[in-house]
Amino acid sequence: MKIKTTAAALAASFGVALFGALPATALAAKDYLVTAARPNLVFVMDAKERKVVKTHTIPNTSMGNSPITLVHSRDGKTAYVIHNRWETVSGIDLDSGKEVFRAELSGGDIRGKSPFPMDLSPDGKELAVYVNPTQLLPGEYKVLDPYIAIYRTDAGTDAEPARKLKVPRRVSTLAWSAKGDTLYAFSWDMLKLDPQTGAVKGKHPWRSWKNGEQGEPDTLAIWPQWEQTNVFATPYYVAYANKPEGDPSALRAGIWTLDLEKDTVHFKEFENAGVVLFSSVVNPVRRDETYTVYTQLTKVNTKTGRMDRVDLDHTYYNVNVSSDGKELYIGGTQGDIAVYDSATLKRIGNIRTPGGGDQVLTSLRIFQR
Amino acid sequence: MNRLKPLNRKAHQIEAAPNEEAVEKVVAMTAAVAGCSTTFDPGWELDPFLGVAGLCQPMEADLYGCSDPCWWPAQVPDTLHNYPDWNTGKDDAARDWNTLQSVFPK
Repeated sequence: MKIKTTAAALAASFGVALFGALPATALAAKDYLVTAARPNLVFVMDAKERKVVKTHTIPNTSMGNSPITLVHSRDGKTAYVIHNRWETVSGIDLDSGKEVFRAELSGGDIRGKSPFPMDLSPDGKELAVYVNPTQLLPGEYKVLDPYIAIYRTDAGTDAEPARKLKVPRRVSTLAWSAKGDTLYAFSWDMLKLDPQTGAVKGKHPWRSWKNGEQGEPDTLAIWPQWEQTNVFATPYYVAYANKPEGDPSALRAGIWTLDLEKDTVHFKEFENAGVVLFSSVVNPVRRDETYTVYTQLTKVNTKTGRMDRVDLDHTYYNVNVSSDGKELYIGGTQGDIAVYDSATLKRIGNIRTPGGGDQVLTSLRIFQR
Repeated sequence: MNRLKPLNRKAHQIEAAPNEEAVEKVVAMTAAVAGCSTTFDPGWELDPFLGVAGLCQPMEADLYGCSDPCWWPAQVPDTLHNYPDWNTGKDDAARDWNTLQSVFPK
């Protein structure tokens, strides 16, 4: 009994007992996945058990659209999600399901929508949300300048921005640096913003990327998946002007990474473009390995360029990795998360969403408790 | 640009702009990456490499990924703005696809 009591006390002190699905002796931190699904669900899964352990509903939202970006606090207590046709951000307590934060991006004659970019400061105290506002005038829609709204996460369910930062258009990702002193905004270039003032401190080039005969790279980066490595990774395609028309090597595919701790960039082209690549994630143990999904699962060694690939049973949008680097969790699109062995790329499991609702374009995040 | 022909007022403004700074003042979209954009990405008919092998498998896996962010509003009803209840209650596209209806401009 003494052992059990001690275990329960320790578990409670780490917060693990709150999930209720954990045995009292399970003191080692476990991996939990958190994601969203249509129409209004946020759910938590025990990754190794392949089991949904919590299902929460997002209150007061649209039922004919899907939640998108989901950002969790590092302690796994709260998940912030963009929903309600991109016009609301809610913070859901992952233990109780209670809505502990809510910010409306629209109001009056202004319709504000956040098309994916959102991130939480490393200390969990501030939430950055990119907003595209439109003024709905009687005879026309007036497009207003976008901004980044910075909310205090303790602002409650009627949250207003603590400040607004001026920002260029076309931002698809916001990523806070590990130290919290830079807010990266992936726009025409990867901009480095002062999170207090919005001042542009520098950039890593994309539109202005000059690299021999290559053109402007193309990418799609709307899935935050760097919580275990602090390395943002995205696939890219780039054309070469010095290659003859019809040459397969005139369009190449690669992986571009940004270390959010060191502010360093690395990129590696690994094949002639011929396969659609969506989101990428870096293995937290074998950090030269990245995984990219769409209708195939692709593993790329970003040092050597070596690549392995398998076909998936259907198209998926996002991928994450277990903390020991051994398992891949592949989600988005439909109502299941596939589990793959990161070494062999063999399918080893599957988790169904509660109610079978599609995950569509939401994020698939992982935390330990 | 030689093969592109401007079709509307905004496109003419872009073509007539004297420099890149002026081009950026022609506000054609609020977001290039998503949201009722005027992108010409293939995706429903052809993949980015002008074949079909890269299309989503099956199409239902990507159906709400196109309707909910208004990605291809010409091919799929836009549930972000214009047809907000097109797929309400039909949360599993692979199961519910045959209950989805056509839409028509209001």
